Amino acid sequence: MSLNDPQWGKRGNQNAGPPDLDEIWRNVNRRMNELFGRKREPQEGDGGGRPGGGLPLGGAGMLVALIVVIWLASGFYIVDEGRRGVVTRFGKYTETTTPGPRWHLPFPIEAVEVVDFSQVKTVEIGYRNGNPRNKIAKESLFLTDDENIIDIQFAVQYNLKSAADYSFNARKPDDVVAQVAQTAMSEVAGHSQMDFALYEGRAQIATETEKLMQAMLDRYGTGIYVQKVTLQNALPPDQVAAAFDDAVKAKQDRERQKNEGQAYANDVVPRARGQASRLLQEADGYNASVTQRADGDASRFRQILVEYAKAPAVTRQRLYLDMMQSVLGNSSKVLIDQKAGNNLLYLPLDQLLKQSGAAVAADAARPVPPETAVTVDPSRTRELSRGREAGAGR
Amino acid sequence: MKATTPLLALLVAALLVLSQSLYTVDQKQYAIKFQLGEFIDAKTEAGLYLKVPLLQNVKFYDKRILLLETSDPDRVTTSEKTPLKADFIAYWRITDVRKYYQSVTGDEETARRRLAQTIRANLAEEINKRTLHEAISTEREKIMTTTRQKADADAKSIGVEVVDVRLRRVELPDEVLAQVYQRMESERKRVANELRSLGAAESEKIRADADRQREVILADAYKQAQKTKGEGDAKASATYASAYGQNPEFYSFYRSLEAYKTTFRSKGDVIVLDPSAEFFQYLKQPGGGPPASRSK
Repeated sequence: MSLNDPQWGKRGNQNAGPPDLDEIWRNVNRRMNELFGRKREPQEGDGGGRPGGGLPLGGAGMLVALIVVIWLASGFYIVDEGRRGVVTRFGKYTETTTPGPRWHLPFPIEAVEVVDFSQVKTVEIGYRNGNPRNKIAKESLFLTDDENIIDIQFAVQYNLKSAADYSFNARKPDDVVAQVAQTAMSEVAGHSQMDFALYEGRAQIATETEKLMQAMLDRYGTGIYVQKVTLQNALPPDQVAAAFDDAVKAKQDRERQKNEGQAYANDVVPRARGQASRLLQEADGYNASVTQRADGDASRFRQILVEYAKAPAVTRQRLYLDMMQSVLGNSSKVLIDQKAGNNLLYLPLDQLLKQSGAAVAADAARPVPPETAVTVDPSRTRELSRGREAGAGR
Repeated sequence: MKATTPLLALLVAALLVLSQSLYTVDQKQYAIKFQLGEFIDAKTEAGLYLKVPLLQNVKFYDKRILLLETSDPDRVTTSEKTPLKADFIAYWRITDVRKYYQSVTGDEETARRRLAQTIRANLAEEINKRTLHEAISTEREKIMTTTRQKADADAKSIGVEVVDVRLRRVELPDEVLAQVYQRMESERKRVANELRSLGAAESEKIRADADRQREVILADAYKQAQKTKGEGDAKASATYASAYGQNPEFYSFYRSLEAYKTTFRSKGDVIVLDPSAEFFQYLKQPGGGPPASRSK
């Protein structure tokens, strides 16, 4: 037995019990054979009346062998995946076994403790049963650096990095994790500003807590590896939640107001650009119109001037009469011979005007003659006449 | 098997004696061997050891790191007289098991009480020297280290090492808490108001900037437009001047005629005329003068 353990022989006399027993048994068997070799027949053996001479003793031997086999078999154990077996020989740590079927020297020599190794365990701080709404206020309130109070609920996920350390170095290592988590978070919160912890610093707080926890757990030699600290909640306490919510709302209000301002700007500026380009286009149009008109007018004048130069008197007379015709043809006129009798002349001017007004209204119903179409835009005519006056002024 | 029976009995007896004279010390434990109550020796290494049956007995003590929790936080005061509830957790370990046995008779509860008292007193003292802010934040580490050192020095006398002392929870008592909440609330209100007015200001700024841009754009365009128009006017003037300058007298005549035409164009214009005007010379007497034009 125990041949597969090379250290076995070195154990000295203290733990040499079982092999000695074996030896003793063999001796005992031999002696028994010598002593009772001849008288074996009358003796009742446990063999139950077997004929063979050595058989009763052989039966005892088999019994012993059976016990030994059972005893040896009791050393078999299975380490499940994700776990480790920590083997101690007379209480002293010898090795850590990996998953698979394993064998240790049976009781009372060796013992094994199988612990979860890579399986992730979770500690919840400030809440229970995986639901952050199950608050435990006693655990979740922390004082921050700026002497405010913050409500943090978090979970720590951990597994082992040394099964032996986990088994031997601390009593209730899982409790230690919970305690360490609380103290670490309390310290990290104590070094953080409230606003930082509430908003932008959440990830950093988690990492810092993680680091601090790992440092502490290493110091206590717990063999635990902190995988992750996750903040479930980092909130202001219930008593002041409304005020904080309002501040958050205010932040959104600010954004909204900014957006509204931006919307206004986006409305006004392009509109102004449109107006500006309209002004420029109009100016271009005006420029073209004025110069072209000037060219036209000048050209017309020059041509008439040429003809006028040929026969000034007649042209002048013709032009005058043309004008008179045009003027008198288009307007109401009253001929009064003042020399004949200007004593009692009654001119019903108002009736005349009314009459002509009706005529104008009738005119307006008819399509406008092309000559008058030019004068639709009052501003343009104004500009035009001004330009012409300027031209005439020179 | 009758002959084997006494041998078996012998064997069992031998095993019994053996089991009584051997003992194992676990990796997690210390062992102290006593002989009739008298201390013989202490085993700190795990393994299999011998003892004299009946005469000697062995007691085991935990070698691992142990937790010391306080059930309820202590009330302490900071240097500015703010009451504070400080709750600590300590990690300790038996290092000298003989001393431990002698001083606290190996009773863990007694040891805990003793440690808790020392740590509590030291902690209160350390916090008392510091302001609230220091206790929470800046000097927290120092408080813990100093407390640990002092407690450790004291714990040596009972064979215990204080591995670490940590402030677990630092809380404000309820009456102070209410004030803190009030302060937090007003602070938030301040922040909210600030944000809102800041928003209004920013919005106004954007609007004003937009208005300014509009004015600038329009004025710019106006300037450009006037320039273009002026150029047109100037060019037109030059054209007119060069044309009309050829015969100013005729221009005056020609232009006046145009003006008359434009002035009297509506039926609403009533013209009162004297038939003696030159225009009507043929209306009265067909003879003499220029030939009559088409008249009414």
